[in-house]
Amino acid sequence: MTIRSTLTALAASAAMSLALAPAGASAWSLEEAAKPYAGTTVDVVFLLRPGYEAAKQMLPEFEEKTGITVNITEMPYENALGEQVRDFVAGGDLDIALIDLVWIGNFAENGWIVPADKFINDPQLADPDLDLDDFFPLVLNAFGAWDGTVYGLPFDNYSGLLFYNRCMLEEAGFDGPPETWTELKDVYGPALTKDGKYAFALQSKRNETQSADSFARVLWPFGGSFLDENFRSNLLSEESQAGLKFRQELMQYMPEGIVAYDHAETVNALAQGDVAMITEWSSFYPTLANPQTSAIVDCLGVAPEPAGPAGRKPALGGFSLAVAAQADENEQAAAWLFIQWITSKENAKRYLDLGGVPARQSVYQMEGVAEEHPFVPALVESWQEGVPEFRPRFAEWPQITEIVQEWGTKMMLGEVSTEEGAREIGERMEAVLEEAGYYSGNKPLIQ
Amino acid sequence: MQATQDIGRNAAALQRGGRPAAEEAIIDVNRVRAGTKLGFLGPAVFALAAIGLAPLIFAIWTSLYNYNLTKLANMRFIGLGNYAAVFTDPVFWQAMGRTFTMLVIALPVQIALGMGIALLLHQPGLGFLKTLARLSLVIPMATTYAVVGLLGQVMFNLKYGVVNQLLGFIGIDAVNWLGVPAYAFATIIFWDIWQWTPFCALVFLAGLTTVPMEIEEAARLETKSWWTVLRHIQLPFLVPGLTAVLILRTADTLKQFDMVFTMTRGGPGSSTELISLLIQRIGFRAFDQGLASAQAVVLLVITIVLSRLYIRIFYREV
Repeated sequence: MTIRSTLTALAASAAMSLALAPAGASAWSLEEAAKPYAGTTVDVVFLLRPGYEAAKQMLPEFEEKTGITVNITEMPYENALGEQVRDFVAGGDLDIALIDLVWIGNFAENGWIVPADKFINDPQLADPDLDLDDFFPLVLNAFGAWDGTVYGLPFDNYSGLLFYNRCMLEEAGFDGPPETWTELKDVYGPALTKDGKYAFALQSKRNETQSADSFARVLWPFGGSFLDENFRSNLLSEESQAGLKFRQELMQYMPEGIVAYDHAETVNALAQGDVAMITEWSSFYPTLANPQTSAIVDCLGVAPEPAGPAGRKPALGGFSLAVAAQADENEQAAAWLFIQWITSKENAKRYLDLGGVPARQSVYQMEGVAEEHPFVPALVESWQEGVPEFRPRFAEWPQITEIVQEWGTKMMLGEVSTEEGAREIGERMEAVLEEAGYYSGNKPLIQ
Repeated sequence: MQATQDIGRNAAALQRGGRPAAEEAIIDVNRVRAGTKLGFLGPAVFALAAIGLAPLIFAIWTSLYNYNLTKLANMRFIGLGNYAAVFTDPVFWQAMGRTFTMLVIALPVQIALGMGIALLLHQPGLGFLKTLARLSLVIPMATTYAVVGLLGQVMFNLKYGVVNQLLGFIGIDAVNWLGVPAYAFATIIFWDIWQWTPFCALVFLAGLTTVPMEIEEAARLETKSWWTVLRHIQLPFLVPGLTAVLILRTADTLKQFDMVFTMTRGGPGSSTELISLLIQRIGFRAFDQGLASAQAVVLLVITIVLSRLYIRIFYREV
């Protein structure tokens, strides 16, 4: 069953549930649905990012309407996976799972999250306006679904975008950003790297940033990938190597020590006018557009990421919220009501205005939204074409990303060639996959 | 004076047909009821077992299993499989190599500088300034390891760091302290030296105060060579402190985590990935608790062996 057909079936069942509701029953309302669960507390992990701040500001309204308390534990991204894994393994308190797209296979295969249809098929809990088809299909598929089953609803959503300093580009004689990666390197690179300024910065610090923002970003646009259709390493393929070699060549137009740059350093480099272009998550737009944190507010430009020979394959990242299997029935119901509410069509505009990035198509079609939020057209375009398995989403990713981080950085530092690095990653990655049972047929080849 | 009093007390006790005072004290201890002993010692023993022994036994147990938190369904006994993986893993030995490189560079420098500072502070005169210096020596040690790392991250920042700014004042170009592997490694060693030299200085200073004044003064009358005084008079009194410094600093360096984690997170590349960072990465980021436990047990064994060696070599001289 394809993801699209699954989504259609879910949407149809939701519609049927509504249609089959007893005649004369009053219209569904959050307040009514939440009555049996008033006084319930649901626990969830939030990150220290703008989307979560937006949700926190909206929370009092939900709590007032429902009597449900949402207990938030905030932490940086780097701690969130470990915290949740330990909680789920130990049968802890979390009632909602916050799922980065690369964690969904892990969470689903371990049975830590509940398929959404349990709630969608419950007319007492399902909002008739849930409208799963309104989510960008790529986003719902990548962030919320695993093996054809929807678990989570997209909550904090990103696409990689090209942020640029329009003034620096104009001074160098460019009337717009580069369309392709090759153009960025060969035309914009030499023209913009001078006087202590650099054309580009690619965040490459050795953590998830190295594998997600740096390594994967150059694989896909050049036609490469982590794995082939048999789940063998594809990193030594001509296309993958082209991408990795491209990154090496592009480094001459990046600041020294780029392997120590994380998101903060990279965004700051653009914000202070030290580099002309960066490819960063859409969620950094507010930082770059805020005069208190950016010196280039009037020069800020946003575009989709450049295309490669294989097309535009922008970085895809984000989080969904799913109900945790360890929660009891009341907590599960309360958790679902919160997830459904915070990701609803009705709340999407407010969430966007407060600094979040919803994955609802309808909100971006509203009049004036593109003008109010200038990153929207680039974001919408990026979500039309993307790769759900930008980073493989299976349970083995936490082990594989560590390998990619180590050897990807060694490549950038010139300690190993791209071929040697790809061979090392490939061998180690295949060892992990072999142990997991992908080659013996014990596990389906899903990523 | 004290000795004279003791002799007098013991003689009086013997005249009464009793036992010397010290022996009486021992007998008193032995007469303490078992329940009382248990009451005093029990909580400490229980706490030690709960927070020290039990986790160690659990770590040894998990090290014998294929035990990944995200794949608990695959958990199975694999005997010494994790240890075989550790001993044949070049990444583990590279991390171990980096840790020992840091140890053999940082520790002698800390001892030498600490000794120098202690000797300076042991000189007579300048009382107020010496008190001030002693107090300021405590500050680096009293700062949380993680905060020291965060401070380093900011101070050694290529563009905004105060270190490069100071270098700029004397015409030296900015150095990419944390972005170039060799510099990053040198920086964490420097930072460790900065934080822990005061500890060595204070231990040695305490050792110097135990040297009997009359012996030291007599030696100074005999020779003007400070080295002779240090070698033959002061150093013997410093050996217990030196042994403590060696054991504590070796153990601290082998488990060095917080400062490096917050400063470089083991990067760039693997250039500052010390053994404890590797164990944390395997255990809590790749969730392979079995392999991480095996690595930790190997590290523990190495630490114990080194500590025993220090004690055997240095205490023999005392």
